[in-house]
Amino acid sequence: MKTVKRMLRMHRIFVAQELKRMMEYKGDFIVGIIGFLLGQFFNLLFLWIIFRQIPSLMGWSLEQLVFIYGFSLIPKGLDHLLFDNLWSIGHFTVNKGDFDKYLTRPINPLFYVMVEKFQIDAFGELIMGIALICISLPSLVIEWSVLKIVLILVTIPFATLIYTGIKIATAAIAFWTKRSGNITYMFYMVNDFSKYPIDIYNNFVKIVITYIIPFAFTAFYPACYILTGENPLFNVGITVVISVFIMCIGIIIWNKGITAYESAGS
Amino acid sequence: MRKKFKIYKPFINAGLQEATTYRANWIFFMLGNILGCFVSYFIWNAVFISSGGENLNGFTMPQMVVYIFLMFLTTSLISSGGTYDIGEEIRDGSIAMRMIKPISYNATFLFQEIGNKIMTICVLIIPMVIGVEICRTVFMGSVQFNIAGFLLYIVSCVFAYLINFFFNICFGFIAFIIKYLWGANMMKNCIVGFLSGSVIPLSFLPDILERIFLFLPFASLNYTPVMIYMGMYSGLELLFYMGLQLFWVMAFWGLSKLLWHIATKRLCVQGG
Repeated sequence: MKTVKRMLRMHRIFVAQELKRMMEYKGDFIVGIIGFLLGQFFNLLFLWIIFRQIPSLMGWSLEQLVFIYGFSLIPKGLDHLLFDNLWSIGHFTVNKGDFDKYLTRPINPLFYVMVEKFQIDAFGELIMGIALICISLPSLVIEWSVLKIVLILVTIPFATLIYTGIKIATAAIAFWTKRSGNITYMFYMVNDFSKYPIDIYNNFVKIVITYIIPFAFTAFYPACYILTGENPLFNVGITVVISVFIMCIGIIIWNKGITAYESAGS
Repeated sequence: MRKKFKIYKPFINAGLQEATTYRANWIFFMLGNILGCFVSYFIWNAVFISSGGENLNGFTMPQMVVYIFLMFLTTSLISSGGTYDIGEEIRDGSIAMRMIKPISYNATFLFQEIGNKIMTICVLIIPMVIGVEICRTVFMGSVQFNIAGFLLYIVSCVFAYLINFFFNICFGFIAFIIKYLWGANMMKNCIVGFLSGSVIPLSFLPDILERIFLFLPFASLNYTPVMIYMGMYSGLELLFYMGLQLFWVMAFWGLSKLLWHIATKRLCVQGG
């Protein structure tokens, strides 16, 4: 309990530090957010243009797709906001030997890496995600119940941890190979599959994004539960199980990797 | 000419060496992008099934598949990283070191990137062109490969690369205004990606937008080469779009010279 308290306090300090830095460079803050907003905007424009040609995509309406898309941005944005620093491990921290810093502080290195940065760019995704959900909701028929709302609130942090777990696992590969940023990138591209209804893929892709690189649980399955109310056991239950599983794998690889880490010379 | 080439040849080697050193990382990057192509493939597949029609805005499904992969191919072929490199050097002041050397700043970048491209061409472009051609042959039932068309495509790609190169250098000077290059670069990539037709063929856009976008320099980047490869342009049209490409090469080349001139006057490097 004491350690958790200490960790939370540390996290607050890091966030405060990052916010101070942000105030120093206000322009960057705006550029970053606009950058991410634009990225999402063009993706939506793509959907809109496609729907000028067709009434529905394999039985899914534009509003439903927008909802799934918006929902997918929330776990992604949360992970981006809180744990973005993991990217830099694979891209340059290990390669340059800067990882030494994390090993010499009296705090768990993984925890330190994760909370060191507070990535405000992510608000671009979060704002857009919430906006899209709000825009699409009025035209969707969804039955609401207390249980459903509780389940959704439970799913979001677990869905976020799927991203974090995969990032930890792929970043840790750098301890052996020096650079692994693009492995993380490759996994993130798989994530693009999960923004659309899974029905449009062939069986191979369905199996991959459900069981092997389970990004479908970060967006499509939970969103599907919200839209249809079907299969809460699978859509929500498995999300939780898989998320815990991925986090465990990530931490195991990380711990193994850290013992293999050798600093760069000089 | 030959003497000039001798000066810059080491930069080609440096670029090639750089590319081969981090090859594993590079391969994963490309694999990631190919996965992105498959996402597009499945979406378009679903679109064609849902629409029930054979032909959408001049594209059939097999043509769409070819379009997606050619787009990816062309984008990797003409990509240029000038924005980031130049911006970073302006930011940390190492640009000063470049300015005191008796060689052209732009040319060193260009040659280093050409070195980098050699690897892209060998590892990625050649296998993918063969793959695309096999697909086209299977889809259409006969050999579609057309040597004249292919050569025009290569020429068009060279123009496109030069436009991209000079455009990125111009954009790199934004580092004088915005310090957060990663964000600025991301903004640029989103806009260019859409306007150049990498996300969706421009013929799917509303008529008026399509006509405007075709004149912008972005369509000259990858849309024109891909359309040429697919044999969508012929005769006068072909001449016009390639001429437009040439125009944009000149325009951005001139602009980059001008900005460089202004920048060197404004540049202020601390310490050293």
